[in-house]
Parts: sequence; structure tokens; C-alpha cells
Amino acid sequence: MKLSLAILLFFWFVKGFTQISDFKHIDFKKADSIALSYPNEDLTNLPELSFKLTSHLNTDVERFRAIYRWVCANIKNDYSLYLKNKHKRERFKDDSIKFKAWNTDFRKRLFNKLLKKKQTICTGYAYLVKVLADLSDLKCEIIQGYGRVSTTDTKNLTLPNHSWNAIKLNGRWYLCDPTWASGIPNPATNRFTFNYNDGFFLANPKLFAVNHFPIEQKWWLLEGENPTFDEFLNAPVIYGNAYKTLELHNTPKYMHHNLQRFQNLKLQYQLKASIDPKDIWLLIDNGFQSKKIKPTSVKLENKSLNIEHQFNRKGFFDVHLYIEEDLISTYTIKVGNN
Amino acid sequence: MKTHVFTQKRSFKTIGLIGFLMMSLLAFNPTYGQSEKTTTEIASNARTVKGIISDEKGPLGDVNIVQKGTRNGTVTNEKGEFTFPVKLNTGDVLLVTYLGYETHKIKIKDDTSFIEIVLTEDLIEMIGALDSGKPYKSKRKKN
Repeated sequence: MKLSLAILLFFWFVKGFTQISDFKHIDFKKADSIALSYPNEDLTNLPELSFKLTSHLNTDVERFRAIYRWVCANIKNDYSLYLKNKHKRERFKDDSIKFKAWNTDFRKRLFNKLLKKKQTICTGYAYLVKVLADLSDLKCEIIQGYGRVSTTDTKNLTLPNHSWNAIKLNGRWYLCDPTWASGIPNPATNRFTFNYNDGFFLANPKLFAVNHFPIEQKWWLLEGENPTFDEFLNAPVIYGNAYKTLELHNTPKYMHHNLQRFQNLKLQYQLKASIDPKDIWLLIDNGFQSKKIKPTSVKLENKSLNIEHQFNRKGFFDVHLYIEEDLISTYTIKVGNN
Repeated sequence: MKTHVFTQKRSFKTIGLIGFLMMSLLAFNPTYGQSEKTTTEIASNARTVKGIISDEKGPLGDVNIVQKGTRNGTVTNEKGEFTFPVKLNTGDVLLVTYLGYETHKIKIKDDTSFIEIVLTEDLIEMIGALDSGKPYKSKRKKN
């Protein structure tokens, strides 16, 4: 009896989401400083690079961290290459021969550009992380799938558009997204700017699932049911900042809501660290103007954040949640008559 | 008294189990000893390894060849040829890498002195969506 209870408890502990908090006892300062001390390395000698990044670190998670951090700090995202590929893939999607030929040709160009200029698109990041990890005997995989951001055209999202990684540490798989962690294109100029976001490293799979849809089911790493593609397309938009601040995005599951006048929109999150509730505000856009307002109610208990907001006017609104100056998520609300 | 005999029996059993475990440790131990012996024996047999690396189109230059776990290494010339700068022993592992091609691991055998490898491309589909900090904007019908 005692034994079976112990086994049960063991599995209960072993199961559950794999994420960064499993490594709370590890300080990544050393791994990060090693990664950042090689800003001028090129990609002509990958075994040497992998060796330099990992040989002075004692744990697999630190070794992986150094590789991941180096890739995020040194590989530039090539926006024009991304657009060109997107355009061609869409053009050839119904012509399998041309589609395949384009992919082959593009792969070669991409590797060449990665090698010579350290510029790439997602798969290049995920690929490099995997190769460098392999060379240090770490088990890492590339995950292909769909990524959804604020500018994604969800009505026409038919082809996979994003790649990220899974890494096996202490016998368990974890998720990370080196592309999105490395930086974002400047919204005005579309030029890529390095701006490391630590939230994508060993992220909570449940949060990750809000805007990452893997082609292979096994890479959800979720307990219970995996989201359907429709659920994924209709999920709220979350931004890079969400990964810094949120542990979980619990409610709502959908982006769009139909409400009656005086009805409340209810939002529920689990935070990574406590914040000052005064820093929470909404930007509500009715199509003509945006207004910065405080939500009707904000409750924060043990990092569990509950926000409610009442809509008193009819209309169609884009509701953006901000914490301080960070845009976290967006929902759309249609308010009708009672 | 009865209980005493019982515990004694049990402790014999435990000792037996420990004994068995220790024996099994001994049984595994010689393998380690043997492999060490082989390495030292072959140490005198260290040799220069040469080779040629190509892909489906022909010889491949700038390919990296590194001894696993060390910083010993070299790159191929334009003809895809290399001469490994350090003498190698049986059991050493070479990693052959070139960005975009599958990494090859070669274990040096007793008779390895020339290596010929055709690298295969990593057939990965290249895709990429960027993250965006732009606030979402609903498409609205124009009045």
C-alpha cells in the first residue's frame, strides 16, 4: 500500500509541465557570460564553437543555455528572406514539383547566408541550436509547425510557418523558441533588432500552446487534450512580453467575445512574479480612437491575477492588456444591445 | 527466539543479496579493464589518418573534421582532402561537420588510415515567422 502510494506520488511529481522553474537552483549567469564572450565567432567550425560554449559548464541545462543564448545573440533574422520565402511558398503551394524545387533551392541559399552572414529565418535558428547541441551530446530536436503573432493572417494560415526546439534535460523534454527570443523587427522599419527575451527559454508548454502549434502531436508536451487547429487559430493574441510576465494565460481561451452592454469581460492569468496592480491598464480601440483606461476591477492574490472590465457602450473593440509599458495580449469584443 | 532466527535468516538473505550485487559488479568490471588495456596497447599503434569528403556533386572544401571531446581538428582543402594533424588511435571518434549537411561520426578502427565520406544534405524545410510587437488591429468595414 505504502509502496503504491509512493509510486503514485513519484509519478505525480514527475508528470506535470516541464519548464524553467525545474531549474530554479541553477544560475545561468556563467553560461550567459560564456555565450556573450564569443561575439565574433563564425559558423565555419561548429564543433569548436560548441566546445568553446560548453566545455566549462557542469550541467546539461547550462551547456544548452550557453548554446541557445549564443544563437539568440549572434544570428540575425532576415526579414526580406522571410518575405520572399513566404511569397514563393504560397505561390507554389498547389504545384508540388515547383514547391519542392523552391524548398531545395531556398535551403541551399539559406544555409549559405547563415554561414557567410549569420543571417537566417526560424528554421535556421532551430537548426543551428540543434547542431551545436548535438555536437555537445545534448538531445535536441527541431519542431516544425505554426506560429501565431499579431500580424499573422489566420484566415490564410495553411502552410507551416515556424520552427522551434525541444531539448531533453534530465530525461524530460522542454520547449524553447530561439527565433522569437532573439529579437523582433522594428515595427516601423521592419529591420530586425536584437532584443533577447528570456521568456522563451524552457517556457511553460501551456503558455507556449497559445501561439505555437506543432505538426507532430507529441511536441505539445501538454497533459490532457491538445488544442485543435481551430482552437489555435481562434486563441487570443499574446506578445513576446507575455512570456516574460505570465506563467499561464488561463482565461479566455478565445480572442473574440460577444457581450451585452454592462456585461463583463473576464481575464485570468497566473503571473511569474508579483506586480503592482496599479500598473495594469487596458488600451481600448473602437476603430476611430484608442483610450487608455483602468479595468473595472483588478484582483491579485498569490500571483493569480483576475481582471474584469465592463463595457457600457455598443461597438466593436480591440482590447489590449498592458502591464506598465509592456503589451501582453489582445482580445476583440463586440458589444450589442440587451 | 523464533523471531531471532527469522531475523538471522533475513540478514543472511540480505548479505547474500549484497554479495550477489558485488559479484555482479566484479563481473562488469573486467570489461572496463579490458577496454583500457586495448587503448594502451593501440597507443603504440597511433597513425596518421587521411581522407576525402564530398557530397553528391563532388569534393567538398572547408569541411570540418574534429576529434570528439578535443580541440584537435582540421578542414578539407578545395579537393575535399584532409590529413588529420594528430595521430589517432583505435576507438577515437572524428566528427565531420558542414553547415547544412548531416554530421558524421566516424569511429577509428584497427585498420582505419584513409576515410572517404559522402555527406548528405539535411533535408529540412525552411520556414520562418517573425514575432511582432505590433498591436493587433481588427479589420473593419469602411462606412
